[in-house]
Amino acid sequence: MINLILVSHSEKLATGLKELLAEMVPSIEILVAAGLEGGKIGTEVSRIEQAFSQISDDALILTDIGSATMNAELALELYTGKHTIRFVDVPLVEGSFLAAVLSGQGQRIDQIVTELEQEYLSKEKTN
Amino acid sequence: MKLTVEALRTALLATADAIEQQKDELTDLDREIGDGDHGINMSRGFQGVKKELEVQNSLADLGELSKLVGMTLIKTVGGASGPLYGTAFVKFATKWSGMKSVEGEDLFAGFKEATEGIKSRGKSQAGQKTMVDIWEPFTASLQADSTLEEVIDQALVDTKDLVATKGRASYFGEATKGVQDPGALSSSILLKNIVEVLHD
Ligand SMILES: Nc1ncnc2c1ncn2[C@@H]1O[C@H](COP(=O)(O)OP(=O)(O)OP(=O)(O)O)[C@@H](O)[C@H]1O
Ligand SMILES: [Mg+2]
Repeated sequence: MINLILVSHSEKLATGLKELLAEMVPSIEILVAAGLEGGKIGTEVSRIEQAFSQISDDALILTDIGSATMNAELALELYTGKHTIRFVDVPLVEGSFLAAVLSGQGQRIDQIVTELEQEYLSKEKTN
Repeated sequence: MKLTVEALRTALLATADAIEQQKDELTDLDREIGDGDHGINMSRGFQGVKKELEVQNSLADLGELSKLVGMTLIKTVGGASGPLYGTAFVKFATKWSGMKSVEGEDLFAGFKEATEGIKSRGKSQAGQKTMVDIWEPFTASLQADSTLEEVIDQALVDTKDLVATKGRASYFGEATKGVQDPGALSSSILLKNIVEVLHD
């Protein structure tokens, strides 16, 4: 089952979102790469890489704003593991809801990315 | 104008000290039009670089040095400036691999690649009130007959009056006009220290 990796500036935000998603799709595997040490706000490559090392299948990354996206794309360029990991630049909360449901239905990574892009292409983030 | 391994190393150590001195200024600017962490991020990153440079004294060429600096910044800075500065140095490394010193076209090619790297990492371009507004005019002026310090100072002045349309500052909109972009200021510190060590 495709894993989701939630990259956010806030650990609370990502953990809360994980709870929401687990309610919809209990079996979904979600990794949180959010916040900094000591509960501080921010994003960093190392937490994202740590999440990469824990995935059990191919995975999809979703991010909140600004540096979350930059750090996710950078971590992805540095990744040398065996799974396929893809990033899709869609709104974090809505996008992860759809992704969780699709993953729960057994869809594979490319299908999920295509669906998300179709759904959110016209509402592209600009900041 | 020529950049050698030893000169770049000197410039980076001087940048680390300058960032320490201007840490609060960088953070205060970021507090006005951001989240108030830029000085802290840059200080952590360049102190990390300084530490690496103090233990590594066998860096063979500009490629190795730039790669080490880029990876250290990626690991230690965080935020938006970590991946942006990290990418810039990793891009220097791709152009300057195996070279002990660069000048003319090679020097320009490194800065061009770094600037393009920042733009593609941030999906940004000049005019959006970010560090790109310093890197781009600086790089262009490497091929012109201009005084690089003056180009950097002028770019800082020009950037100050822009309205941010990229990055966290963009959410502050018009309120960013007249406030210096913290990443532009830190970029000017780095680039000026590099200009300092360019030999004729
Ligand atoms: N998309 C971008 N393209 C180019 N430069 C950017 C971009 N976003 C931010 N910057 C630069 O980075 C500086 C801010 O760096 P800082 O270390 O404070 O990260 P941050 O904005 O706090 O990151 P975060 O996204 O985590 O809030 C800005 O002043 C600007 O120069
Ligand atoms: Mg900041």
